[in-house]
Formats: sequence, C-alpha cells, structure tokens
Amino acid sequence: MLRTGFQVAVILGHHGALPGLTHLLPRFNPASAFGSSMETLVSRFCREMTESKNYALPNASWGPDMLSLYHEFLEKTKTEGWVRLPSFRSNRDHIQGFHLPLMSSANSGKSDWRLFTRCIEREGQGYEYVIFFQPSEKKSICLFQPGPYLEGAPGFAHGGSLAALIDETFSKTAYLSGEGLLTVNFNIRFKNLIPLGSLAVLNVSVEKIEDQKVYLSCVTQSRDQQTVYAKASGTFLQMQLEEDSSQH
Amino acid sequence: MLRSCTAGLRSLWALRGGREGVPRPSTDLQPAPRLFSAEKVIHTDCALPNPSWSKDLKLLFDQFMKKCEDGSWERLPSYRHRCAQISEDFKNYFLEQKPVKEGRLSQVRLFTRGFEDGLGFEYVIFKNNDEKRTVCLFQGGPYLQGVPGFVHGGAIAAIIDTALALCAAVPGKAIMTANLNINFKRPVPLCSVVVINSQLDKLEGRKLFVSCNVQSVDEKTVYSEATGLFIKLDPEKKSF
Repeated sequence: MLRTGFQVAVILGHHGALPGLTHLLPRFNPASAFGSSMETLVSRFCREMTESKNYALPNASWGPDMLSLYHEFLEKTKTEGWVRLPSFRSNRDHIQGFHLPLMSSANSGKSDWRLFTRCIEREGQGYEYVIFFQPSEKKSICLFQPGPYLEGAPGFAHGGSLAALIDETFSKTAYLSGEGLLTVNFNIRFKNLIPLGSLAVLNVSVEKIEDQKVYLSCVTQSRDQQTVYAKASGTFLQMQLEEDSSQH
Repeated sequence: MLRSCTAGLRSLWALRGGREGVPRPSTDLQPAPRLFSAEKVIHTDCALPNPSWSKDLKLLFDQFMKKCEDGSWERLPSYRHRCAQISEDFKNYFLEQKPVKEGRLSQVRLFTRGFEDGLGFEYVIFKNNDEKRTVCLFQGGPYLQGVPGFVHGGAIAAIIDTALALCAAVPGKAIMTANLNINFKRPVPLCSVVVINSQLDKLEGRKLFVSCNVQSVDEKTVYSEATGLFIKLDPEKKSF
C-alpha cells in the first residue's frame, strides 16, 4: 500500500528514468512530499535488532586512537544529542518493513548479499568504522580504521576503499537528513595516503537540500587534523521508501 | 637503486617490461626484471574465467580474447597479492609517510581482489595501447551491495578507479589518483555484467586526464560516466 503523498522525482536527464519509474513528475513542494521527520527516520533506522549483529561497536582490532575517539563521541551521545548509528550486514536490516519504490521486497535481498563496507567479516582485516550523526546540525563523523585487505599502494589504504566509505557515510547522512537514497554524483580529491591500521576521521555535512537532492561534503583527516587525506562532495536523490504490502 | 623501476599506483601497479624467465609479481604489475630475479612468488591470475562468471561475462571475455590475437589488444593479468620486494622498495623510495603496525600487515591483499570467487569484484581488463584505451568487463557480486539489489556506489567508484588507473598507466612510471568525479545515471543491478570503456584524454606534463563510461553489455544503458586525474610520481620530489 503506497504511502499517501508518495511521489518520486526522476532524475536523469538524457538517459531516461530509473528502471521501473516511467513517468516524469511535475514539480512539487518538497516539504509535503517527504513527510517523514528526522526523528521518525532516525528511530526507524536505529531500531533494536536482536537478530542482526551490530558492527559499529568496538572489537579487539580497534587501535587506541579509534577507541579513545569513539568513547569521546559516546559521551556526546549522552550530552550533546549525537546519535551512534548501528551498522548491520545489509541495508535491508535498516529498512525492515520497507522497500525501494516499485521494487517488491521479494526480490530485493537474498540472505547472502552484504553491504559493501561490511563485506569483510574478520575483525580488523577490512573496514572498521562507526558513524555518529548529529541531527540538529545534519552532520556526521565517521571513525575509520582500514585493515590489510583494503590495501592499494603498499602499506596504505586503497583510494577506492576510502571513496566507498565516504559514499556510505554520505548515504546514511543523506537518508537521515532528508531521505536521500541513491548517489547521483560523487567527487573526490585525494591529498594524502592513509596508512593501514591508522585512524582517519571523516567529517560529513549536509550543505543543502533542494530540487529533490541532498548535497553533502566531506573532509577526511587525521585525528589531529594536521593531515588531510581527501576532500569529497556528493549529491543524493531523495526517494521515499514504500511499506511492504505483505506480512512477514 | 630502484628509481624508475618500481612503480606504484594508488589503486594498481602497472609497469610494463616483464621479460622471459622473470616471475610476474602481483596485481597487474610487471616489474623491471632485476628486482625479481631472486624472488619466487606464487600467484594466481584472477583476470581469467572462473565458475562464478556469468554467461554474458564469459562471452565478452572470449570476444576480447579474439581481439588480442592480432596484438592490437592485450589482456592485463591481475593478482591477489603484491610481491613483497616491490612493497619494500615502494615504501623506501617513494613515500615519506611510514605505514603503522607493520606486524599486522602480513596478510595484505589488493582491495579489489580480496574476495572469494564470485562474491566481490569479478573483472578483467583489456588494453589497446595504440588507441590508449581500456575495456573493463565487470561483474559485481553479492558482497558489493549498497541499496538492496544494487551495487554500492562506492564499489562502482573503486572499479572505475581501477579501470582508469590502468588506462592512464605509463610504462616505467608510478602514478596515483588525484581526482575522481562520477555521475551516476542508473543503479547497477547486483550480479549483472557491465562494460567500462576508458580512454586517455589528455597528457599535460605529469598530469594524466582520463574518462570512462559504464554501460550495459548491449550498450543500450549508460549506468555512469566518470572523469579522473592521475599524477605521475616523481621520485626526485617524493610527493604527488
């Protein structure tokens, strides 16, 4: 059953609509189209999942830098309104009961499918990261410790692995800030290499939301901010999820 | 003295010049022979069909292998692990930053080759040296998911970085990714096959400007378009 007021903006200029979305909709008031408040989005996203493992928690592979900054932000979740985002093996776990428009829940997820940035199971070998979100400022911080399976240049993280994590942080921030769902544009400027096993801090902000798009920027730095690893910007298309019509 | 011999890419190594009798080291890298005469490395070339490859991917692979017969195209081999010798040399001669926690790095893998067959990136790259372009056949597996049912934008970024890097690769030189700009037009369905066509647009001193598009096998759907800037490393300057 479609949510009332459900509308989807079709983005793509010369190459036509997204698969399944065949009509171009007239302009509409964004405020009425995307009715889910941030509180609803955040609480739905952070719903307690007892069956799925939450990867956004410290484990033995986390270095001292990562641990101490994690605890700093954990304090801020109590005093300054920051939210620690849970992180599951698949995005389906975050949107239980909902699915992408015009895609039924039946074909949108086999159990062996995994979120890219959670694809490497072994602790400390791939992506170790946790995202904290500040709803009032539409900002996120992602603490990232790359493991040896993310290598590009010897001893350093692959540029593509950082790009993927920035896209992932953008995607969670865009979704919670304004139901941004699909990446439309992604731009990254690499400045320095991240040594494997060290801590990189991704600072993400929503710059603006207009024309059914969420615009974000990111600066990735060392903890002391002395080294800038990369700067990036991204644009996400706003899309409302549909409720599943069948009972689970 | 390794200066021009070692080469490192942010995403891949691409040096040409492997000669007879010299074992090829990891990840699309063919080193200068004198580095490796004493090194024996066991490696599997991942840029070859395996049971996880779909029919589409195998068909395209065969088509491109035919094109290689007259020498105008070549298939670039691709390995999971990097040769230890090259890693040391790269660290010593090219970078001032020292990676931390050396003890943990015994298990390194090239990021785009770190998965079991079929689960992550399945790809092979063919290069046409005269026309300065590459074609990358890519099948994104179930561990590359973003929005449920589709390949993660970041995984697309990683394979685009890989394809562009090999296109920009210059014999005997190390290059690094400086910028990447990607426009996503359609999401790529998980486990489907796409073709990434890359070309070198311009060369300005140490700057290499490349661009590519990501299309369906029948060329009717354009999934993304990207441009990239790569920089040739200068061992004298030890920076990029």
